[in-house]
Amino acid sequence: MNDLSKSMERTVLSAPGKKKTRDINAISPLWNFIFNVGVCLFALSCIFPFIFIIVISFTDEKTLALNGFSILPEVLSLDAYRFLMRSGEQMVQSLGVTLAVTVIGTVLTLYLVSTYAYAISRKNFDQRRFFSFLAFFTMLFSGGLVPGYIVVTQVLHLRDTLWALIFPSILNAFYIIVMRTFFTTTVPDAIIESAKIDGATEFGIYTRIVLPISLPGIATIGLFSTLGFWNDWFNALLYIDNPNLIPLQTLLIRIQNNMDFIVQNSSQVVSYDIAATLPTETVRMAMVVLATLPIALAYPFFQKYFIQGLTIGSVKE
Amino acid sequence: MKSKKMVLLMVVFLFALASGLAGCGSNNTKESSDGNTPSGTQSASPTESGDQAGDKLDPVKLKVYLIGGPQRDLPMVQEEMNKYLTDKINATVDITMIDWGDYSKRLPVITASGENYDIAFTSSWAFDYLPNATRGAFLPINDLLEKYGQDIIKELDPRFLTGSQVNGKNYAVPVNKELASQWVWRFNKQYVDKYKMDITKIRNLEDLEPYLKQIKEGEPADITPLAVPKGFKPYMPFDFLLGDEFPVGMNMNSTDGKYVNILESDELKSSLKTIRKYYQAGYLRKDVATLEGIDNIKTGKWFADREQTQPYAELGWSRSAGYDIVTSPMQDPVIFTGSATGSMHAISANSKNPERAMMFLNLLNSDKYLRNLINYGIEGTHYKKISEDVIEDLPAMKDGYQMPGFALGNLFLTYSHKEDPADKWEAFKEFNNSAKVAPSFGFNFNPDPVKTEVASISAIVKEFYPPIMTGAVDPDEHLPKAIAKMKDAGLDKVIAEAQKQYDEWKAAHK
Amino acid sequence: MQGILKKLIKNRAFLLLVLPGAAWFIIFAYLPMFGTIIAFKDFRIHPGGFFESVLKSEWVGFKNFEFLFSTDDAYIITRNTILYNVGLIMLGLVLAVTLAIIMNELLNKRLAKFYQTAMFMPYFLSWVIISYFVFSFLNVEKGVFNQLLVFFGEDPVSWYSETKFWPYFLIFLGLWKNAGYGSVVYLAAIAGIDRSYYEAAMIDGATKWNQIRFITLPMLKPLMIILTVLALGGIFRSDFGLFYQVPRDSGALYPVTNVIDTFVYRGLTIMGDTGMSTATGLYQSVVGLILVLLANYAVRKIEKDYAVF
Repeated sequence: MNDLSKSMERTVLSAPGKKKTRDINAISPLWNFIFNVGVCLFALSCIFPFIFIIVISFTDEKTLALNGFSILPEVLSLDAYRFLMRSGEQMVQSLGVTLAVTVIGTVLTLYLVSTYAYAISRKNFDQRRFFSFLAFFTMLFSGGLVPGYIVVTQVLHLRDTLWALIFPSILNAFYIIVMRTFFTTTVPDAIIESAKIDGATEFGIYTRIVLPISLPGIATIGLFSTLGFWNDWFNALLYIDNPNLIPLQTLLIRIQNNMDFIVQNSSQVVSYDIAATLPTETVRMAMVVLATLPIALAYPFFQKYFIQGLTIGSVKE
Repeated sequence: MKSKKMVLLMVVFLFALASGLAGCGSNNTKESSDGNTPSGTQSASPTESGDQAGDKLDPVKLKVYLIGGPQRDLPMVQEEMNKYLTDKINATVDITMIDWGDYSKRLPVITASGENYDIAFTSSWAFDYLPNATRGAFLPINDLLEKYGQDIIKELDPRFLTGSQVNGKNYAVPVNKELASQWVWRFNKQYVDKYKMDITKIRNLEDLEPYLKQIKEGEPADITPLAVPKGFKPYMPFDFLLGDEFPVGMNMNSTDGKYVNILESDELKSSLKTIRKYYQAGYLRKDVATLEGIDNIKTGKWFADREQTQPYAELGWSRSAGYDIVTSPMQDPVIFTGSATGSMHAISANSKNPERAMMFLNLLNSDKYLRNLINYGIEGTHYKKISEDVIEDLPAMKDGYQMPGFALGNLFLTYSHKEDPADKWEAFKEFNNSAKVAPSFGFNFNPDPVKTEVASISAIVKEFYPPIMTGAVDPDEHLPKAIAKMKDAGLDKVIAEAQKQYDEWKAAHK
Repeated sequence: MQGILKKLIKNRAFLLLVLPGAAWFIIFAYLPMFGTIIAFKDFRIHPGGFFESVLKSEWVGFKNFEFLFSTDDAYIITRNTILYNVGLIMLGLVLAVTLAIIMNELLNKRLAKFYQTAMFMPYFLSWVIISYFVFSFLNVEKGVFNQLLVFFGEDPVSWYSETKFWPYFLIFLGLWKNAGYGSVVYLAAIAGIDRSYYEAAMIDGATKWNQIRFITLPMLKPLMIILTVLALGGIFRSDFGLFYQVPRDSGALYPVTNVIDTFVYRGLTIMGDTGMSTATGLYQSVVGLILVLLANYAVRKIEKDYAVF
């Protein structure tokens, strides 16, 4: 570690005069290279399975069973996608449901999380410890499936509505506490104090000063929440019968569960015809492709907020 | 301390909320019976339940949950059913299909939440019959059967009703179908022909040896002679207490009525020696103990495996594999308590109209028109008749109405397809009649008094069974270890409890 | 009484802000908590709804908890759960922070974005899928590892029955899958640091290393502490798929792969008892709560602002 810091010192110290084009506070090309190699290897290990998954999803099921995973399969096939596309119309409908739930859900989540987190981030809020604990406690204890089901179906009467997919997962104590930490660390007290002296209301401070400064934090929670809604399949399993309201993940997981179940219980379920010929493995991979690609494309949208640094000074003015 | 105060405050909060929930919950029970005046109280006289009872009964709607994929044309067929049912028993049905993989997750929640549904599919493998019957999810139906289910009693093999009793009561109407179960060896016919094997002689695990050897020596290395996954177990002639993943049972060949530890039986010990020998000879996959499933059917690179059968099963297997598969039985067909509960319909304990529900089930199990309507859809739309009882599917069937026939009521009433053997249902009945009845048939074990022990032992079974039962490890070394660990976890206590319950049951059923 | 009212009025703006969220917590989290009573009951269904069923079911005290402690496995599963979690929490923290800092320093921002997207991908894979890939490396006959071993003249290893490798495999996979997700929070936190701090430090001649040490890390400290304290709350829970699917439920590996969640799953397959599963959840929660309360108390003593509550 000592070596590392020493060599860094050297390179950084000698850096400024050398090239004008480089940011004077950047790391040296050597370290940049070392970091690049390390991170690159790790990143490749992460992306490699995906390339594999795409290949497997186009592999012929029998070839897969005979040869195992292979990056250059002998026989290619579209069977897996054909199998999934049998419910093609349904899939488009489900994608629509997922998009609606994800967008509405994320917007509402951001509103609820940021207001709650802002309030408990403020030192002059007398009940902030109580409300912090109120939120935190729910991270550990839950009442289980049945009581939650009763609240949604019998108290709120949300069964078979879009809201049953949104409300139960709209808030999460983890988001609130992360958000609160962002607020306390990135928003200097001085800014708030000066705004107060200028006569701004709490709500005004929240919308005009705190939110703009905390964009990276908001983007983080927005990302987490988007992924959460996108990947959620369990709410629909419990609350939705209407095929027009089934989200994509639920649709795919259901196909998967049915295949698994029928194969496992083949002696009971009289379906010898289906069990052995279902393209199980390749379909599984094709489903990962279908479910992941759209959301992976959405990722760069959030990413720009994590990579660019922010200058709070500019907000201050 | 401050956090103490906070916890206290939370507790108070909780209780206030719980009482709020109570209010909501009970309110709702009343609400959701929505206007259906509790017509369960009306006294339809039993004899009239069949034909003209229609005009004397209040109209009711029955909420029915069935297993299987949701079908596009179900509303259409349901409307047709409702016309008929209104006529017959002045009831309509509202059927919800819940997918295979979801059913066992969703129905327990729906049931525990106290929803007032009327009928649900239940079985030994999905939305488990036994625990739910024990825990009060279903209504005991003996009186209802007597009053409104006479046709069921008439049509059904009586052993179904005996076999599905829990503490002397019936909690569901079994579907009339195959009752016995039977394990068979399956063989890839290609190799049977090639080596001119006489598979009719194969019955025991030991009998397989020369054939496995022939394959191992004569075929390339990628042909697995005995292609089984980790779930494989040598055939054990036992009447299991809690399924074959729990080591307690009664020897089928003895008459003393004693539950024993199967792992200590001589039969198992000798089978384990054999399977160990096979494993070492390379007849099984090397990694069999961790193999969830095996792709043998798809690849065709196998010689033998094992499966549970029913009449004409090999036709179906061959058809789906795309090559011929032949079988040879490991045992005679046997009827266990569990085999009677393969597919049933229960009436919910929260049903507002149990009488009408039973009338509906009665029709479903005896009325040929209704039974085929729910199974195959509408004649002319979903299928066309070739002769009296034989049909051919129309395209609409494949696209919009594929129902799981065995989960819908008396299977023997359904039409057959033209490619089916003509004597299919006769063969099923013959299969049932030829079966041997297990000594504990009709006895259902209640694990509640020893559930701690059962849970611990189940976890140990998962650790030891796959490697021992597939021969992947030396049984002389590992079997005693497994037995010792299970005994520590209370195996003897479970056996004693089982024996006690069985003796009581036996005394009551003399 | 009047004091409280006064206080509430004084804080009315904040109270209005937390109101929607608090209402959600009450309805969706606290109302259902009443169901936890099942842990102490022999749950039966009674006509009249869930509430009736819970109330009328018989009290059984701590009987539903017994199977968690009744065998020798109790020690193993507790040890495994705690050790794996401690390992994953600690190493996960180091990895996430390191990746975030490196990613932030890389000269080529485009590449940095690409890496970051790539690292996020494993998060989308289920453990079942990952277990397939692991299997393609580790299977006895055709696995990559064994082929390499044979190539170098070594004996093949039957990986799925050799316990000694698995703690490393599992920790590695656990870290690998969540690294991208975990580092996002820290990346965002770094992005939120006021650049003028660095500018000032540079003018004072601080090296890059010193900037990281004296600006970046201290700015990340509250987040690191809070996330770690929160993670402690889940110390008795584990990522089920990692410990069940990835080792392919291999019995020989149980000594190093069995954790509380897998043990309970295996034990309850035959009976599926609601009371016992609720009891397990409650046990895990209570231990988590105690740990978090202790940790939070300690953090509070040292640096009040870093406490969770």
